Amino acid sequence: MAELTGPQSGPGSMPPIPASVQLLAVAWLRWRIFVNGMNRKRPKGTRQVAGVVFAILLRLIVWPMLATLVVAPVAGSGFFAWMAISHGHPQRLASLLLGITLLWQFVSINGLSIAATIQSFDPASLVRFPLRFGRYFVLRSLLGLMTPSTIVGCLALLAAAVGICVADASLALPALVVMAVYALMNIYLTRMIGAWMDRWLANRRFREIFSMLMALFAVSIQFLNLHRISTRAPGVRTSWLLNVLHSSGSYLYWLPSGFAAQTILLAKHPLAASVQFAGLLASTALFAAVFAIRLHKQFLGEYLSEGVSRRAQAPSAPRVKAPEPQFAARSASVASGGILSPVVAACLRKEWLILTSNGTQLIGLLTPLIFVVIFSMNRAFSSFSSKYFLPAAIAYVLIAAVSSLYNIFGADGSGVQLYLLAPVRMLDVVLAKNLMSLAIIIVQVTVAWTIICMLARTPIPVSAQISTVFWTIFVVALNLSIGTLRSIQAPRKFVPGQSRSPRGATPTNRTSSLLVLGVLFGTMLLQVPIGYASSYFGVPWLAAWIFGPLAVAAVFAYAFMLRNAERLILAARDVFAEELCKA
Amino acid sequence: MTTPAIDTTALTRRFGDFIAVDNVNLRVEAGQFFGFLGPNGAGKSTTIKMLTGLLAPTSGSIRILGGDLQANSAEIKRQIGVVPEGLALFGRLTADEYLQFVGRMYGLDRATTLSRTRELLEFMQLAGEQKKLITDFSHGMQKKLALAAAVIHGPKVLFLDEPFEGVDAVAAGTLKAMLLRMISRGVTIFLTSHVLEIVERLCTHIAIIHRGRLVAQGSLDELRAGAARIAQAGIQEGGAPPSEEKRSLEQIFLEIVGADREGNPAATAPEQELSWLS
Repeated sequence: MAELTGPQSGPGSMPPIPASVQLLAVAWLRWRIFVNGMNRKRPKGTRQVAGVVFAILLRLIVWPMLATLVVAPVAGSGFFAWMAISHGHPQRLASLLLGITLLWQFVSINGLSIAATIQSFDPASLVRFPLRFGRYFVLRSLLGLMTPSTIVGCLALLAAAVGICVADASLALPALVVMAVYALMNIYLTRMIGAWMDRWLANRRFREIFSMLMALFAVSIQFLNLHRISTRAPGVRTSWLLNVLHSSGSYLYWLPSGFAAQTILLAKHPLAASVQFAGLLASTALFAAVFAIRLHKQFLGEYLSEGVSRRAQAPSAPRVKAPEPQFAARSASVASGGILSPVVAACLRKEWLILTSNGTQLIGLLTPLIFVVIFSMNRAFSSFSSKYFLPAAIAYVLIAAVSSLYNIFGADGSGVQLYLLAPVRMLDVVLAKNLMSLAIIIVQVTVAWTIICMLARTPIPVSAQISTVFWTIFVVALNLSIGTLRSIQAPRKFVPGQSRSPRGATPTNRTSSLLVLGVLFGTMLLQVPIGYASSYFGVPWLAAWIFGPLAVAAVFAYAFMLRNAERLILAARDVFAEELCKA
Repeated sequence: MTTPAIDTTALTRRFGDFIAVDNVNLRVEAGQFFGFLGPNGAGKSTTIKMLTGLLAPTSGSIRILGGDLQANSAEIKRQIGVVPEGLALFGRLTADEYLQFVGRMYGLDRATTLSRTRELLEFMQLAGEQKKLITDFSHGMQKKLALAAAVIHGPKVLFLDEPFEGVDAVAAGTLKAMLLRMISRGVTIFLTSHVLEIVERLCTHIAIIHRGRLVAQGSLDELRAGAARIAQAGIQEGGAPPSEEKRSLEQIFLEIVGADREGNPAATAPEQELSWLS
């Protein structure tokens, strides 16, 4: 055994730690986490090919989207700022800056939940080191600057400054200075919102309410029509959005965006510009101060978990919780010779309890149905033939539900050991999980179907309805078979959208993502050529003739898979232990 | 009179209506190997979090090495080392990188950090794993690394929350050897553990917390005497007399905290309970 020879540090004689040492140490930490995240294990053989194909597909889809998301607001800001100054509408500058702030903050808030799942470094964990609060504040201000919202926001402000310079070169210096301070204000506003959101999101109930609000926002924005024409003045056609901007112009001057715009526009009047600039600085300082208050609480030590407070609500004396009467009765009937075996019933009950206790998941199940209502009410969609709209809407509803079939054991984590240890057939476990998924899909599809039938302007032909039934059975049975097989091969939890994150980017997850994309969209898109051929040849029942046999084949394939599930899972026990049960 | 290494006065922490730590007065002298015991949920980890500055107390004061923790947290954190309950390692670093980072955060110069990192990795038998990501370490390896990180700056007080949990016998031997060496050099160690044999063997002084309250504090002999008084009171109320031989820490612990609300020791549950167990 090696000997430790390091000297003991004396408590009284220690010189202060230079700030640069600690700041550089944290910068180095972030750099190493980033570099280590890049050095992933390289897959071999078919997995490598699948990884390369996936990477190419992802780049082809994601890069143009990302480029548009960056270029559009940046170019738009520059152009809008130039136009506002050169065309004599300087008051629109405040609206532009407010728009940039709103977009910046909205993207940041949306990114919070994603960041929480993929972050491998929690900056709050730095409080255990011997840091002074000032340094902690600086670190928390600097960490996370390289987020997409900050980069795009800063570029948009820079483009706006350039646009102002091009329109009036004399405003170049004030524009650049003001935009820099305005960017700082936005950074502290983001930090402030993020820190307080972290505090509130520590509460499960708040998380659920927040998810619901975000879903409601996403839904309500569908009703926003930017091109709706206001007809208040006869003969004058102006967009309601421009009307809102004009009428709210005077209020914007009391916001940071107004202070920033006025500072630039009044640059030739130093006193007035200084007053406006002071307003911008004060708002920046205010956001930084509110952020600092939250950080100081963190720095002194606060407990955000709900565990203890929940325990506090529980009675101190032990008591046996009475089973819920409905379920208890149902379980008893099942155990005494009902349709389902006791194991399947018990597993189903567990899945049901998990589902009903997870508000976010319930919202996720409800959201596609809300969108079906919106699409059905939309004129553009209602003019679309109902025989096409029905299968398209059902396909949309199925996307989320079916993709979850590819990872049925992931949420169990190490709890899957119970299934392997208990004297149960894994077939029963798989069956229970599939039954729960199937029940959810049936409910969702039935509700969506009813909505479409009720809101459709023209009756849906029977042939279209029958073919959609066959197609749905085909898609669900096929995805159940392939999804269950994939769940056995790669049981670790994965989310398709996170396969690029540092934690989720394993070869197995990439292959799973590719498989989900391939099978899901392949089966969905199969409708298009068949539907087209049906119309082209004038044979309304063609789709039903094709999807009918396919549905039967898919059901047989599922039955075949189920017969072999037990053997396959037992053969993959090592994979389960490695991927789910590792301490 | 020497300055105690740890001194708390009326330390209290509430979570809503629940009092996790209630009016705890704790005094640990410098150089003591101090065991902090209690049943699950008694308030041990909450206390250790408060003592290390990770959790603010609702009321009361904490002095570490004579300094007020709330007022001088940066200076005090520099003189303490912590192996927290959740280990709190950065999984995407290698062991080597993690120790270097921790050394720099505690103000060690680059050369000292590198040499201590090398020594600690060798001592903990992690030298061969230094390029592996921490997230791929076993639980025992992570424990050893957490301890290495806690001592890299040569702390005067070391807080260990369940350091032997999930650690194999060989690794536990390494950890014990290191802790005893630190004690011989005057370091104060504050340890919580459910393994009472280890506490009995290592610790010179012990405190027991139960339902948030400190119910006993002193050397093992002082605890024995205290437990004997409790047992004596039990005899007067019709309980069994204590055995004459020197009792183990486990027996003392059970006598102090093992009784339920009705006075039945937890270890002797009524016969009719769990009668279906074969």
